[in-house]
Amino acid sequence: MKFLFWRNRRQRQDELDEEIQRHLEMAARDRMDRGEDASVAKAAAHREFGNAALVREVTHDQWGWAWLENLFQDLHFGLRILRKSPGFTIVAVLTLALGIGANTAIFSFVYGVLLAPLPYRDASQLVVLNETTPRVGNVSTSYPNFLDWRVQSRSFAQIAYIEQMSFNLAGAGVSQPENINGDSVSPNFLSMMGIRPFLGRDFEPSEEKAGSPRVLLLSYPLWQSHFGADPNVVGRTITLNGNDFVIIGVLPPDYRSLDNNSVMLPIGVWATNNPSAASREDRGDSTVIGRLRPGVALVQARAEIEGIAAGLAQQYPAANDQFGIRLRPIRDAFVGNLQTEILVLFTAVMFVLLIACANVANLLLVRGAARTKEMALRAAFGASRLRIMRQMLTESFVLAVLGGALGLALALAGTRVLTRLIPQGTLVGASIGLNGSVLLFTAGVVVLATLVFGMAPAAHWTKRDVQAELKEGGRTASIGSAHNRLRGILTITEISLALVLLVGAGLMLKSLYRLINVNPGFQPERVLTMDMYLSSERYSKDPAVLNFWQQVLDGVRALPGVESAALGTNLPLTGNHSRTDITIEGMALPKPGSFPHPDVHTISPDYIRTMGMTLERGRTFTDADDEHAPLVALVNDKLARQFWPNADPIGKRFMWGPFDPASKNPVKWVTVVGVVDDTKLYGLANPSRLEVYDPFRQDIYHDMDLVLKSRLDSSALTSEIRSVVASIDKDEPIFAIATMNKLVSNDVSAPRLALVLLGVFSALAVVLAAIGIYGVVSYSVAQRTHEIGVRMTLGAQPRDILRMILGQGGKMAAIGIGVGIGAAFALTGLMSTLLFSVGASDPATFAAVAILLVLVAIFACYIPARRAMRVDPMVALRYE
Amino acid sequence: MKPRYQNRIELLQGTLDLLILQTLRWGPRHGYGISQAIRANSGEILQVDTGSLYPALHRLERQKWIRAEWKLSENNQRVKLYQLTPSGKKQLASERSRWEQLQEAIGGILNPSAKESET
Repeated sequence: MKFLFWRNRRQRQDELDEEIQRHLEMAARDRMDRGEDASVAKAAAHREFGNAALVREVTHDQWGWAWLENLFQDLHFGLRILRKSPGFTIVAVLTLALGIGANTAIFSFVYGVLLAPLPYRDASQLVVLNETTPRVGNVSTSYPNFLDWRVQSRSFAQIAYIEQMSFNLAGAGVSQPENINGDSVSPNFLSMMGIRPFLGRDFEPSEEKAGSPRVLLLSYPLWQSHFGADPNVVGRTITLNGNDFVIIGVLPPDYRSLDNNSVMLPIGVWATNNPSAASREDRGDSTVIGRLRPGVALVQARAEIEGIAAGLAQQYPAANDQFGIRLRPIRDAFVGNLQTEILVLFTAVMFVLLIACANVANLLLVRGAARTKEMALRAAFGASRLRIMRQMLTESFVLAVLGGALGLALALAGTRVLTRLIPQGTLVGASIGLNGSVLLFTAGVVVLATLVFGMAPAAHWTKRDVQAELKEGGRTASIGSAHNRLRGILTITEISLALVLLVGAGLMLKSLYRLINVNPGFQPERVLTMDMYLSSERYSKDPAVLNFWQQVLDGVRALPGVESAALGTNLPLTGNHSRTDITIEGMALPKPGSFPHPDVHTISPDYIRTMGMTLERGRTFTDADDEHAPLVALVNDKLARQFWPNADPIGKRFMWGPFDPASKNPVKWVTVVGVVDDTKLYGLANPSRLEVYDPFRQDIYHDMDLVLKSRLDSSALTSEIRSVVASIDKDEPIFAIATMNKLVSNDVSAPRLALVLLGVFSALAVVLAAIGIYGVVSYSVAQRTHEIGVRMTLGAQPRDILRMILGQGGKMAAIGIGVGIGAAFALTGLMSTLLFSVGASDPATFAAVAILLVLVAIFACYIPARRAMRVDPMVALRYE
Repeated sequence: MKPRYQNRIELLQGTLDLLILQTLRWGPRHGYGISQAIRANSGEILQVDTGSLYPALHRLERQKWIRAEWKLSENNQRVKLYQLTPSGKKQLASERSRWEQLQEAIGGILNPSAKESET
């Protein structure tokens, strides 16, 4: 079909040529009949006919499809031209590939995290709710409060409670015990989200009640890994925490949860024999998700729920005083803090692309200069201005497409590297990759880039005076001041964009430097940590728990190479925490929601030493601080200073919980025996809070971390510990194994990644800008060879020439840096939330970056300037 | 300055079509012949641009108002001859009446007195 079409076209073209040819012959013959000389007649006929090429073209346009044919012609021609100058093509394509590739890679994150539709029905109606308190900010929601919200609110069509849990998976068919995450959810949860089980059934309303039978849904991955994707899995059982659960179904493969969970069970199972389910104070580890009624806006729901919170605070002051409710779209809960980072990086890659475009435009202008004569000839032979412009834009488009294709390859590799650099769990299940939307974006970028870098040269080279250029032979004609001004502006733009990027990278660098030099309050070197969770019936009595922990401590201490070992809860930088009210002896009683609310760590005697923390006063715990001994505690420096600013804290007393004057029970006082350094529990960038430590024998915990200091390799050590634990209880898993150094490194991974990326992008920008300066200056040196020769003949010293050339580059750099500093001042504010103890307009960073760019500019000018200095006046003069 | 053919096509379009169709009423002609006929019949006043003529011919052919055939000329050369089709004849009639209306209307504007005197 296509072949026929082309054949037909070719034939028609030949026929048109013949038709025109005949016209000319007949006209000439008529003139000869009237007595004109043959050659005169022929010339006159041609003159009368006019521009045959143009007649051909406009006639051609009448056939329809002409644009398509022109496009093919242009593409063909464009490719041929590009093949003829491989150097130019390679540089331009590579430059564009870097710009487009960086954009595609970062956009795949923008899309995956911020734009991709969430796999829930009408996700825009879904909101996440949690309680807040001025003392600590966002907290979870207690179950009784949730039940009251559900009864009182009118804004929600449905609302569900999700309690995060963890389970030990052991028993028949499991080779090594392990710990998995699970959610206990209100039975309406899945239907509210618009999710159907992949296999089996959804939960039933009756399964909300405490005491309902132990059933669960498997996640798709767990079904695959532990049940061999058995299609008849429904009805089989799985042993969690020593109890058998009946599998009622499997979640769909694309199910995306806020926490990475492996099983889902009805909330009734969680509520069974669980005092937390009835406690308004116990805010556990939960999420509340609601679906807004159609037509209810987020602000309306927020207003209503704030009223409900105020009512509940009045009704239950002991539990709810000062507590509010936060509402946010479900997307925000997934995006977390990443939004700013991603948008800053996206801006950065846009800048890189603009610089790349400016550079290619510069290259095109230089090349355009060499092609002036070609263009003028084509115009003279009847190509219309629009046609030439189209031709040039098509060439640019070919470049952009080649750059885009290579850029896609770069992006493919780039996103793979990036997803590996991002710490696990940061992206909560977002799928990052080159999907249709990303490819569409890339195609858009290619078209946009074509217009950005192709338009200026195309417009520039087509508005020129054809006759003048032909006359001047196309050599000197291109030294137009307008041309050089355009190239200068492009270069200045590159410099200022590069400056903004460099400032961003500089600020991140300084910020990260400050961050990793923060004293965390402990020494992470050579400390290995792991989690254990005593969840089965075997450990329902305290002595059994204490016996297990003591055996673990004794067994691990006996391992060769272990310097010290200890148990602790809520290790720094793990995200785990436990906070509780305390009442200081003798303090004026505050309102219910305003008691001191420290973080509590339950530790074994060697914890302080193993973690490398500093004991500032008093003593640490000893084995004598056991369940029979008086209650004791350590407090951190911040707490001691705040509550006993002018007294020795040692020997002071406090009680757990808010003091209740109506209570008839005797107060159990806890005596402070030591003061330790503050730790960065919530991350290096976050301020330390009040902290209290108590002995593990006086405050029984089923979930504790083992910490050890050792010179041994951590994986060898881990397997030895695993066998120690297995010898005590073969069903107890150890999990969340990490070195303390790794936890510190994870804590700074986000700013580090941002720094690495901004660093790479700004380095790219500086190199491209330097190439830009170099290109403009060396081109003008080449143009001015004659002038330089004249100057030297008239007595100019090489020094003067050097100054002249450096001055040209210096002027561009100065303007670029000035504009860039202004732009950077305006833009770095956007990234202030990413910075740690560095101002967004930090003068030192700005100055350093400006100086760096000046040096780069001088270097870029120096090479062509030296060439200028070495100009031989005689050769230069003969050149014309 | 380059001649701006495309503007002229737009300017002349309707009229040129009419002139071409009218010229072909007397039998098949080639492009050169058409331009010569228009020139001669207008008393050397109308000179049709080739840049307008050929696009117009190819357009009329696409609209099936004229048909083209390659024939041998008296000096044994292949020439492309255009001739009216039946639908071209209808088009000519309608263009003609449109032209007359236009002429009348413009005449009315240019000679308002004549019209007033009639009423």
